[in-house]
Amino acid sequence: MTEQVEIERRSLLLDEVEAGRGIRDGMTVALGGFITSSHPMALVRQIIRNGVRDLTVIGAASSGLDVDLLIGAGCVRKIISPYVGAETLAPIGPFFRAAAERGEIEVWEIDEALFYVGLRAAAQLLPFLPWRGLVGTSYPEVNPDLKIFRDPIKGETLIAVPAITPDVTLIHAAAADVYGNVQHHGTGFGDRALHLASDRTIVEVERVIPNQEVRKDPLKTSLWEVDAVVRAPFGAHPYSSPGFHVEDREHVREYVAAAQAYTRMGDHGPFRAYLERYVLEPATHADYLERVGIKRLLTLYEY
Amino acid sequence: MRSTDDAIATEYTTPELVAAFIANDLEDGIGVMVGANLPIPRAGVLLAHLTHGPNMRVTLSMTRTNLFHEPAMEPFEFSTDFRAAKWAESYFIHNQLIDDIKRSSMRDVFFIGGLQIDRYGNANLIGIGADYGHLKMRGPGGVGTGDKGCHCKRYYLYINNHDRRVLVEKCDFVTAFGWGDGGADARRKLGIPGGGPRYCITPLCIFDFHEETKHMRIKSLHPGVTLEQVLDQTGFAPIVPARIEITLPPTAEQIRILRERIDREGILRRTS
Repeated sequence: MTEQVEIERRSLLLDEVEAGRGIRDGMTVALGGFITSSHPMALVRQIIRNGVRDLTVIGAASSGLDVDLLIGAGCVRKIISPYVGAETLAPIGPFFRAAAERGEIEVWEIDEALFYVGLRAAAQLLPFLPWRGLVGTSYPEVNPDLKIFRDPIKGETLIAVPAITPDVTLIHAAAADVYGNVQHHGTGFGDRALHLASDRTIVEVERVIPNQEVRKDPLKTSLWEVDAVVRAPFGAHPYSSPGFHVEDREHVREYVAAAQAYTRMGDHGPFRAYLERYVLEPATHADYLERVGIKRLLTLYEY
Repeated sequence: MRSTDDAIATEYTTPELVAAFIANDLEDGIGVMVGANLPIPRAGVLLAHLTHGPNMRVTLSMTRTNLFHEPAMEPFEFSTDFRAAKWAESYFIHNQLIDDIKRSSMRDVFFIGGLQIDRYGNANLIGIGADYGHLKMRGPGGVGTGDKGCHCKRYYLYINNHDRRVLVEKCDFVTAFGWGDGGADARRKLGIPGGGPRYCITPLCIFDFHEETKHMRIKSLHPGVTLEQVLDQTGFAPIVPARIEITLPPTAEQIRILRERIDREGILRRTS
């Protein structure tokens, strides 16, 4: 008797705890979203909970306090991002500033355009791509990996931008089917570029949708062939999720105050309390949402 | 461009004056980014758009649109505010910013700020300090200002606080290359396209750049500001021309449009 082997299309659905196991010490991890929107916070909190260390974090082209939280939690060795902050809520990430000033993290200084050129080089399996912008600035001085060179065609002065390759990219999106077809509401920011440059991509979504729903409007599919899909409604909280909810300013202010008490006054108490309450104690994303509370979440449920 | 004989507003704030100055300098047909957390340039851009720029393309909150027929704008505090999508004619998919360099170099106008701006209009957002490895103050990072400054028709340097720590002899680091070490050919020598910085706009005055040396020069003082005040609060010696203009006050019509359609919350009317 031979056993029947079922041949079937594979579901990529994982929970955040299972997905988090793929992120280990020393990896290069890219985070999607943009400033105060669409960061994969359910996965970010899982990384911190797992005690992962020595990460090289590729923030979004304008990254937010997702990156700052990872620095504060002690997970980061190196940052690759053109900006870390939250606009009016925090012009600059408190932990990013303090850790950079104290030499506790390395900063791979980059401008938005160079950042995307480096990601494109990775997606095209090239060692580098040329770019003209930023010639004459300090970028090649403070980041020696950016090489000034003379192009072989016209002899013009350009910058060779090395490929920027994440081991794993973490994204927050509106919806996906279980086969890894992902849809964003709105623009998707720079998430496509991060995914295409990356060895692996894990996407947390507000809703898991049927494959038939994807087929209704394939133009909406922003990422395809991602490696894992995680169901995480409100997974971007306290940042916004286009089409679902606005940012939780009050929560972000609480985080910023706690981070600033730590970095400016050396008072570790508020940040320690924040980390325990919202990251370390809740075992899962659902437990986190219970901590935030349904009443608070529902006040954000608009766009 | 407005004619100077329009009725002058009887009362206005400095931010409204600056917004009107910006509006007067922006021509129809350009593409311009409306920064989320730069309320004064945002108001200036929209004022130009609504008064004499029906064919401008404005980019705000990751969307491209035309607001000429919109009765009023709400402020979007964050550059990701999805509610702006109600006006979108196209989406600004962020990673595509490296794909339309040709078009933006021809058409776009931009605003660039800095922790430091030097006498030749170079700007620094990296941080303050002599040694990059040991910064006295780490800045937020250059975002996309350096590339945009290279690849746009022209740009404006804009600062909210006019003081010696910001307006310095020489930037510690350069995130956006203005006129380098000076000279009208500073950009051409390096093959940098784009018109470079046109003015430096502050709460006290407008600076322009000397045609040959590209050294910053006082163009106009805002009403009520003295030359001494500007010289005292500037960390380098700007060129002082024989005749200094007064920044043109806004017209009654500009103030009406600002307050009724662009800045209904009165962000520009708050005196700090």
